[in-house]
Amino acid sequence: MTRHWLSSALWFCAPFAVLIVLWAVLIPYFNVNPRLFPHITSVVQAGIEGIQDGSLIQHIGASLLRVLVGTVLALLVAIPLGVAMGVSPVVSSFLTPPFRFFSVLAGIAWIPIATLWFGYGFGAITFVIFNAVFFIVTYNTLLGVSTIPLHVRNAAASLGAGPWAMLTEVLLPGALPNIVTGVRTGLGFAWRGLIAAEMIATNVGLGYMLFVARDFYKTEVIVLGMIVIGVLWLLLDRLLLAPIERATIERWGMVQPA
Amino acid sequence: MKSFLLKIWGHYVRLTARWPSIGSIVPFIPLIAAWWIVTALQIFPSVFLPGPVEVARSFGNLVYTGVLPEYLQDSMVRLAVGTFWGIALGIPLGILVGLSPRAHTALWPPLLFFQAIGDIAWLPILVIWFGYGLTTMTVIIVYTVIFPVVLNTVLGVRSIPINMHRAALSLGASRARLLWEVVLPGALPNIITGLRNGLGYGWRALIATEIIVGTSGIGFLMFDARRAGSVVEILLGMIILGILWYIVDGWILAPIERATGQRWGLVTR
Repeated sequence: MTRHWLSSALWFCAPFAVLIVLWAVLIPYFNVNPRLFPHITSVVQAGIEGIQDGSLIQHIGASLLRVLVGTVLALLVAIPLGVAMGVSPVVSSFLTPPFRFFSVLAGIAWIPIATLWFGYGFGAITFVIFNAVFFIVTYNTLLGVSTIPLHVRNAAASLGAGPWAMLTEVLLPGALPNIVTGVRTGLGFAWRGLIAAEMIATNVGLGYMLFVARDFYKTEVIVLGMIVIGVLWLLLDRLLLAPIERATIERWGMVQPA
Repeated sequence: MKSFLLKIWGHYVRLTARWPSIGSIVPFIPLIAAWWIVTALQIFPSVFLPGPVEVARSFGNLVYTGVLPEYLQDSMVRLAVGTFWGIALGIPLGILVGLSPRAHTALWPPLLFFQAIGDIAWLPILVIWFGYGLTTMTVIIVYTVIFPVVLNTVLGVRSIPINMHRAALSLGASRARLLWEVVLPGALPNIITGLRNGLGYGWRALIATEIIVGTSGIGFLMFDARRAGSVVEILLGMIILGILWYIVDGWILAPIERATGQRWGLVTR
């Protein structure tokens, strides 16, 4: 088992090793202007400098903090709201279109008005992330709760489940796969929205780092930032969100009777 | 009173059952009414939150001066061109990666990684390479659309049971016919899902790009208004974006997705 895991990890990394070698060989060989694309050594150097003077850590920390605050706030509001609205079929059928409309807008489209309402800075960016996560998670929770078959709820009720047992044993577990999918999609939009918002509206964060580097044609910092953004999202998505999604669907996903 | 309300609700339910599109419009009426009341009561200063009347008036103005139709056209053309290339490159690549195990080991991890970098992060370096303009935007949209299409095509191709390939081959199908009659139809539901996701991301990427480097388009309209501090046009832009995507996604993409799912979805027993 361990061997299998190890070898698949090696196979996963092999293409990147090839890419890195190509990068290290081709760029000096064709003598590409470092203003267009940096050498691999200067990117590594930029990374080491960024870690040593703490600026890289500071940018990453600021970005992650914003995502964390925005997401946690959004989940705290979205899940109860979604469950409350999904319980009644009348309410949910009436509220689905508006929530779909707003989940369509989620993320980037809020940047201009967020900067106007909250000014440039932490508030505006957190608001954008909050929005991206909130509407999609609410919409998915609503959908998840309203697709729980009525007879399942009736069965629980006739077995004597009170409101609390109904909530924790039927509604939440039934909607959980949808909720988790919603969180994953919402975070995907939020992450992109974060980078875009940081380019426009702040003075710290990964997006800001990229955008300032562009002004000085420091391509090594840009490429470094892109790699950091890619690795962070890959870690977040593959090591945290995807396993949670798989586990909830296996554990609580509705198994359709044949 | 109660029976009267119930009667109205009954009519409404029957109406929406016959014309589902009414059901997706009516819920916005109380929302707009609430918005109108909040702004009429001046709970927030009108500089921060203008009312529906002002937004409608600015809509009329911008249509009359021709700015809005032009910007809208610019945005849609960019999206269409980007999507076309995204599909034209993404589906063949996806089929290659899905069919050949060697291509899969070599390309799958980089595909995941480059998808994770995300469209917007490419913006600074693309601006250095191509300057502010159509090329930058097109590259970003193609980049955004291509990954969901490729990843989903791969999933679709790999979900076709190997026995289907064998059956077609043993019935004498050539490689080309295998591709055309087994692989493509089998993967089609996934491809459409990928396209729908890709367009969802591409749409947002377009807005972000127009906000940051644009010289025209709906995103530019919104950011230009933000610079001038005019909330009316920002709200107008958001509403137009929402309605457009609602139409594209809800009335075009989702039905296509459902139809292909029903027609070509693999029934696994």
